[in-house]
Amino acid sequence: MSSQARGLQNFISDLRNAKSKEEEQKRVDKELANIRKKFTATGKQLAEDGSNNSLNSYSRKKYVWKLVYIHVLGYDVDFGHAEVLALVRSTKYSEKHVGYTALSLLLRGDDPMMNSILNTIRKDLTTLGPTSAKNNAPTTDTAQSLALCSIANITGLELIQTLHSEVQHTLMAKSSTPCVKKKAALCLLRLVRTSPKLVSGKEFVAQMAQLLQDKHLGVLTSSMSLLYGLATQNPSEYQSLIPYAVHILGLLVLKKACAREYLYYRTPSPWLQIKLLKFLQLYPQILSTGQENDGQDQSIAQLVSVVSKILTETDVSDSINKSNADHAVLFEAVNLIVTWGSSGPAQLREGAMKLLGKFISVREPNIRYLGLLTMAKLAQLEGTADSIKKHQATVLVSLKDADISVRRRALDLLFVMCDTDNAERIVDELVAHLVLADAAIREEMVLKIAILAEKYATDLRWYVDTILKLISISGDHVSDAIWHRVVQIVTNHPQGDLQAYTAATLLVAASPRRCHETAVRVAAYVLGEFGFLVAERPGMSGEEQFRILHQHWATSDATTRAILVSTYAKLANLYEECRPLVAPVFARCKNSVDVEIQQRSAEYAAMREAFSPEAVEDLLREMPPFEDKKQSALEQRLREKEGEDSAAVAKAIRPSAAQRQRQQQSQAAARAAEEVAAQQAAEQNARNDPISPISDGSPGAGPLDRPTVGIPKDVIPAMRKAFSNLCTSPSGVLFENSLLQVGVKHEYVGAQGRISVFFGNLSKAPLLHFRAVVDDQDHLKIQKQGTQGLLDDSDDGGCTVAVRTQAKLLLLVEVTAPFDDAPAMRVIFETEEGELHEYPLRLPIVATCFMEPVTLEPGAFMQRWRSLEGQDRECQEVVKAPPNVPAIDEEYMKRIANIITDGLKFGRCQGCDPTPWTVSGAATFRTGSKDANGNNINVGCLVRVEANPQAGAFRVTTRTLHPLCSKAVKNVALVSIKLA
Amino acid sequence: MAISFLLMVNKQGQTRLSSYYEWISLIERNALESEIIRKCLSRSEFQCSFVEYRGYKVVYRRYASLFFIVGTKLSKDGNDNPENELGLLEFIHNLVETMDKWAGSICELDIMYSLELIHFLLDEMVQNGHIVESNKMNVLRPLDLMERESQKAESIYR
Repeated sequence: MSSQARGLQNFISDLRNAKSKEEEQKRVDKELANIRKKFTATGKQLAEDGSNNSLNSYSRKKYVWKLVYIHVLGYDVDFGHAEVLALVRSTKYSEKHVGYTALSLLLRGDDPMMNSILNTIRKDLTTLGPTSAKNNAPTTDTAQSLALCSIANITGLELIQTLHSEVQHTLMAKSSTPCVKKKAALCLLRLVRTSPKLVSGKEFVAQMAQLLQDKHLGVLTSSMSLLYGLATQNPSEYQSLIPYAVHILGLLVLKKACAREYLYYRTPSPWLQIKLLKFLQLYPQILSTGQENDGQDQSIAQLVSVVSKILTETDVSDSINKSNADHAVLFEAVNLIVTWGSSGPAQLREGAMKLLGKFISVREPNIRYLGLLTMAKLAQLEGTADSIKKHQATVLVSLKDADISVRRRALDLLFVMCDTDNAERIVDELVAHLVLADAAIREEMVLKIAILAEKYATDLRWYVDTILKLISISGDHVSDAIWHRVVQIVTNHPQGDLQAYTAATLLVAASPRRCHETAVRVAAYVLGEFGFLVAERPGMSGEEQFRILHQHWATSDATTRAILVSTYAKLANLYEECRPLVAPVFARCKNSVDVEIQQRSAEYAAMREAFSPEAVEDLLREMPPFEDKKQSALEQRLREKEGEDSAAVAKAIRPSAAQRQRQQQSQAAARAAEEVAAQQAAEQNARNDPISPISDGSPGAGPLDRPTVGIPKDVIPAMRKAFSNLCTSPSGVLFENSLLQVGVKHEYVGAQGRISVFFGNLSKAPLLHFRAVVDDQDHLKIQKQGTQGLLDDSDDGGCTVAVRTQAKLLLLVEVTAPFDDAPAMRVIFETEEGELHEYPLRLPIVATCFMEPVTLEPGAFMQRWRSLEGQDRECQEVVKAPPNVPAIDEEYMKRIANIITDGLKFGRCQGCDPTPWTVSGAATFRTGSKDANGNNINVGCLVRVEANPQAGAFRVTTRTLHPLCSKAVKNVALVSIKLA
Repeated sequence: MAISFLLMVNKQGQTRLSSYYEWISLIERNALESEIIRKCLSRSEFQCSFVEYRGYKVVYRRYASLFFIVGTKLSKDGNDNPENELGLLEFIHNLVETMDKWAGSICELDIMYSLELIHFLLDEMVQNGHIVESNKMNVLRPLDLMERESQKAESIYR
């Protein structure tokens, strides 16, 4: 340390003694002024290059060092570059040294100053032999080393690319000492990084091979850095060098052949081993495509034995340094096994798994951290999921570790190991932990929980609940992308009651005075879209919805307010009572400073006057389903955060089983809808009556070789009438001919019904093998009881119905879903003559049987009527009054009204019918299915009959929440009106 | 796969030595250094030696009042493996041992006062963000030569 300048030491001492940052700054400023003065040399001529040649070597070095020191302290140094360059040009080594060091620290590669120094560097690089003959020190390489070191360290270097041929030459020259070679290798790497085209793999691979045979471990170490850098850019060109790398690795690991100075705590150069293993990781396929030649085969066998030796013989030793060095190599070997994947030996994979399992529960934090990190990589391999899941409990413990780094890794691993089986547990654990987690990790956790919950939700309601929990625990970290995704998913899954559930849940979540703004946003959006689904529930009417949302208005920011304004417009459109509440909000917001809010409220307020009601309806209709983008916004965020190749991203883009299932469900639903449509079209063509008493049941039950007698043609008109009558009356005759009379009595309570069917023998002889076959229906749960044998659907089964007696069939039904047809019943019997009869009939169990009248106020009726307009929720048909009846008068309309109230079991809504020519009614279709809360699922139905007395026609319109209900109610209404 | 920066910072957060192997502007350097040291200081010795911060994996080791901090870029573009963490950890120790061998037991003051020699030593061990030499003898030989030569009045090293 004798080379130290006295002034520099004093300066450093002064800085060290500085009491405050201000004092330090003052001292630095003083020094900078002093140096500037020295460098500008008042009154004297400056040298050509701008340096002050009156400075002696000692002071120039001293001042430049001071500048370097000031720069390292974090102060800007924008002068003195000329002096630095003067030092570089110097022939004295000590000056050159300071010059080069300052050069690499102070200057950027693209600094214009660099141009002037280029030639000096080139000269230093190529000059061999001592600059001073009388020295016996190894001076040949000193200037070279300095130049190389400086080139390699100067950042952002474009100019020095011109020097690359000199660097490459220096690297390969026989005369270069190892010291120069190792620096040249890294220097070249620097140049290649800056512009990859400098070195062509085909030509350079031979030179590289030569370098890899060097005996000097320092040269090998830096050559491996160079090789790794080159090979990452183009792996295939350097594949032929694998045997060299394996050979070196073999020497180090198997033979422990290593110079003593390169042993680090008895481990042969761990850094070289790491570099070799990293290089080999660039070739994940070598184990599966290794049969090209014998040499390759041999080295692969050697590689496997090296890896397994590292795996089995690494031990914890007394010295932490030795242990660390060995484990560094071990983890690198495990990384190599991971890149091999399933093409590697299974034994190695299992060994690695076992070791990692041990590591994640050790006390040493570094090893635990790396164990978790590496296990997350291993988890990406096929077939490791089960063995990793065994450690789930341990990983969950690590999630509560005191160390944030360890927690992060545990979170990462949990994310990767999550699948449909353990998703609920892992997500619940994560949510529970989120409460305690500190800010640094929360955002990451929230994002990952959101992705997992979406990916592995078997029930989407759980997903919605989870996101709501996230908002309430850590709302600030729930980004817009997360709640946008909720909206997207809820909109795209109309099946089940997800939409109503979400609307109800969010309404409850937004009820408290204080709730997170994100909750307000998502609640506002969802209620605007699906609020009407829950509007009939207590405390959730449109007015309530408005009240609950509007309490947050004062505390909301502009974005939230803009969403709220749109929601208000939708509420006002649906519920008349909301309009007076919403109008003042719009009026106030017309003057809002925020352009978006101003525009929205002005437009919404003006809309009603400017457009027809239909156009307004159209404008405020709910959003169409979102396009199902392949990559969700959340995954994109994760990608941004973690980088392309992280285990987590790979995990996120793979669709989970639950996601696939959901997709299939929606596809199946779409298919089913198509099928239903096609079937309905076919049926429409087949018969012109909306509901036929004759089922199209196949006669397949009867033996084919015997002729069967069907329903006689002449009784069909009577049957139609009887069937239609029965649909709206509790008892009657369903079928009658010379042999058989079928009578029906039916009564209903809520979703349940009790139907008795009587089969009376009208003939003179007993009916043999008498059977009645009622097929099971998807939408009805049917319990059957009957006269013994009646239900036995085989050729010699059935019962005998004696003359003038009856067989009885009792059906107990419960409806589970909306439907629009009537269950089929086949009646099969033989006469004494052996004639086989088969009558395909339908039972008059139609949708209106399960209606319960609802009495609505006119306002409420109209509001719902409007909310249900359009799409498939509405059915409309015009029917002519039968030709033989008197003209339509008020008396006639009363009959129609009776049909609606008594027959269809609708509640008449008198207030909505100002003229006698309309009849409006409301009812609830009761089903026995339960929703998530255990309540029965019901469908609200509205019907309206409008008469046109002049034309003698009626228009029947039905609007319900369910397309099938609309259709069914319309059909029954039509046939009933025809009979009236 | 490379070291992005190497710092020696004391407990008060004063940087005693910094060496960057990628260009970071001065303002960013200051912010980075002070935030990293704050993070390191807040960690107990029972916690692991790795911190993830702003796209860097930071490996640190504490010797008395001095932190040795090595930062390496986390992978972003997919083909750049991060450095081996334990390897860096032991490299720091190797660096400290090398300095010890050169100046007895190294302390913060040594690093402050013999800045140029520490830089020289570091350049012998790390170049361009890669480890060049782990052999203490090889690292110290040029330093030794330089010191011996500077004693002589008429040497070119003067």
